[in-house]
Amino acid sequence: MSVVEDVLPSRFSISGMDARRKITLLVTILFFAILIFATVTTTGFYSVQNFKAIITAAAIVGIIAVGMTYIVISGNLFSLSVGITAAVSASTFIWALRFGLVGAIIIAVVFGAVVIGLQGLLIGFTGANPIIVTIAAGALQEAVAIWITGGVSVYPPENSPSFAFLVSPLFGIPFPVYVFVVAVVLGEVFIKRSRFGRGIYLMGESPRAGRTAGLPITRLTTGAFVVAGVCAAVAGILIGAFNQSGTMTASRTLTIDAISAVLVGGTAVIGGRGSVVRTAIGAIVIATISDLLLLRGYSTPVQLLVLGVIVTVVVILSYLNSERAGRS
Amino acid sequence: MSETLRLETQGITKTYGHLHALNDTSFDLRVGEVHALLGHNGAGKSTLVKILSGVVHPDSGTVRIDGEEVYPRNPRHAQDLGVALVDQELSLVSVLTVEENLRLGSRRVVSSEELRTLLDTLGLEHVKLTTLTGSLPIGEQQLVEIARALSRDAKILILDEPTATLSEPEIERVFAAVRRLAAQGKSVIYVSHRLGEVLTLCQRATVFRDGKVVGTKDVADLDRAGIVEMMLGHLPDFRTGSEKRTPENPQRISIQGLSIPPRVPAFDLEVQGGVIVALAGQVGCGASEVLRALAGLVPNARGTVNLNETKLPLGSAVKALAAGVFFAPSDRKEEGLFLSHSIVNNLVATRLPRVSRGGFIQKSRQNAVVMKLLGLTGIAPERRDLDVGVLSGGNQQKVLVARGINQPRSKMLLFDEPARGVDVGGRADIHDLIRGAAEQGNVVIFHSTDLDEVFDLADVIVTMFGGRVVSVRSRAEATPAAVLTDMTHGAEGISA
Repeated sequence: MSVVEDVLPSRFSISGMDARRKITLLVTILFFAILIFATVTTTGFYSVQNFKAIITAAAIVGIIAVGMTYIVISGNLFSLSVGITAAVSASTFIWALRFGLVGAIIIAVVFGAVVIGLQGLLIGFTGANPIIVTIAAGALQEAVAIWITGGVSVYPPENSPSFAFLVSPLFGIPFPVYVFVVAVVLGEVFIKRSRFGRGIYLMGESPRAGRTAGLPITRLTTGAFVVAGVCAAVAGILIGAFNQSGTMTASRTLTIDAISAVLVGGTAVIGGRGSVVRTAIGAIVIATISDLLLLRGYSTPVQLLVLGVIVTVVVILSYLNSERAGRS
Repeated sequence: MSETLRLETQGITKTYGHLHALNDTSFDLRVGEVHALLGHNGAGKSTLVKILSGVVHPDSGTVRIDGEEVYPRNPRHAQDLGVALVDQELSLVSVLTVEENLRLGSRRVVSSEELRTLLDTLGLEHVKLTTLTGSLPIGEQQLVEIARALSRDAKILILDEPTATLSEPEIERVFAAVRRLAAQGKSVIYVSHRLGEVLTLCQRATVFRDGKVVGTKDVADLDRAGIVEMMLGHLPDFRTGSEKRTPENPQRISIQGLSIPPRVPAFDLEVQGGVIVALAGQVGCGASEVLRALAGLVPNARGTVNLNETKLPLGSAVKALAAGVFFAPSDRKEEGLFLSHSIVNNLVATRLPRVSRGGFIQKSRQNAVVMKLLGLTGIAPERRDLDVGVLSGGNQQKVLVARGINQPRSKMLLFDEPARGVDVGGRADIHDLIRGAAEQGNVVIFHSTDLDEVFDLADVIVTMFGGRVVSVRSRAEATPAAVLTDMTHGAEGISA
């Protein structure tokens, strides 16, 4: 009667899944509560203009967060330097416009993929701590960028090709939003359906079991970081196009925003679980909250404070859930 | 052992939803008796143990200790009633000293002298009370765990699979301690899957099946086949000799001078596919290391390994898998399975290329592979999307073994303790899966510390001790006594 043993724990596990669903539910309820609250109290929230502002703000962070999701699911915590890479990619893109628009995009994307991919290679090959590696890599990128540019902003060359369409509305919606949607759809399909994505999920759940099962740990880790690098570079190109220049200060809070989007979406910090779509929802939630605070005249520190509180709550909730799941 | 009853349960029933974990169960335990509880996983023995130790409350029925009706409310109350449970998993704190562990959570005031005497009676004369518990070998930690239970002044000691992780000499020490305790009038309930141990150690055995007691018998009147029949309800087909397998295109492996620092200096073996080879030895004999090295999991392994005249690269699990080598580790929870992933994901984890096309997983291919494997393992297809972590140990192990079999490109399959912690029925299924793999011409090598398993499965028995091969025998010419002697290499105190 192995039925007893098999059936009982599975009931626990369903309650475990319920707990995870509860988080999603909570985020959703929170989201709608804020929306309703906003309808009643904040003037100017319900306007096409404002929605565009929210979705545009969510787009840039969201694109970076799509890549970050790959790193988190692969079990490698976070990259703490994607924001810097995005900023350097922006400068790279602006500088590379001298090779034409397509050339500039390719150069910037390759730059992002290589810089962050190398970090993944190091982490995957040596098992180094991703937090430390990515902090070091961030400092290195910043230093080299300032050294090369002399600390001043990078501007497009004379007779640069036009890149304004990258941030202009298309059918009334800003172009970056389309890029965001494409990134989410591609990112989700790729991680859920591809062999590489399956490997990422398995390795994220248990790197030891992954190694024993013969999964290519180094290749998978590098791959997850390359995806993050491509995403950071794409976001960087849009940032550069928007500012019409490249500067290191363009991106201070991008990394923490992207991490927050992943966490608020409910992707587990411990890896092996989560999805890109969840991250997209997280990015929109955060953008909405920031927008509300802005409309109500709160300063940037207050926005950061609220973000910090939300992320902390989500982290505590997901910790409680994993504890409960672990005990059963 | 006297005829006086220490413990008596009558009509115990416990249901979970509509499932009877225990159905009208009666059981008794004499003073000074070692009494085995036997049965499949889920047969009901664990539930009885939990009721006696106050973890679970019965729906109905009575428990009497020394004739007095009692009702263990919680583990602490059970402790006060004189019932102590030593769980399968060690619960000692490794950074505390032996004495601190013995006193942890105890309500009795015990002098250090008493604790000292207690350790001595368990054969731990050489262990100081001030020793850090984590620095002791696992077997001695198990004895400290027993000492802790006894320091609570237990009359009834429940040992749940106490030898699962121990080597033969360590088991012998636990046995000696149990015998001594019984002689002092303590009553011991001994839960085990290892029939050989039960026959050696216990006076009576109670067999559970489907939540009911099948019967209680004197061990003297029982043999292995008799117990298995009671457990299964029918006589299984016990293989007495190895049958000839003649696969069409057998694989060949030749291992020369395989060295795995620091444990294995040099290991040589030549095997042809279709033959199942056992590396028999205790924990620490080096067999595990050999399997891990062949699977590419030991970076500093050196030597020449030829698989069908092609050199097998060492030190890369990815390359080993690509060369057709599959390995199932002994620790299925930590290293083997992806516990919060589905049965499906686990079964295809080692064959992602085969179920993919152009880098994407093909649902149809995945389904075909999974249905085939579920058919072979006897796991119901509708459970395929359950997380592996919620399955019973036996089914988890089946998934782990099934992951390696039935691969068109497989050449060599390696199993480290393939039926660890699995009940008799599950073990038979797992052994059948492994035999099937051998029939397909694969080289099959497994490591086991369990003689029953070695003799049930192997065609060739290689004994190992201290990192070296002691003997190589065919199944036909090997005897349990000879194999056990080689495994322990003249170590004293073996009685099997």
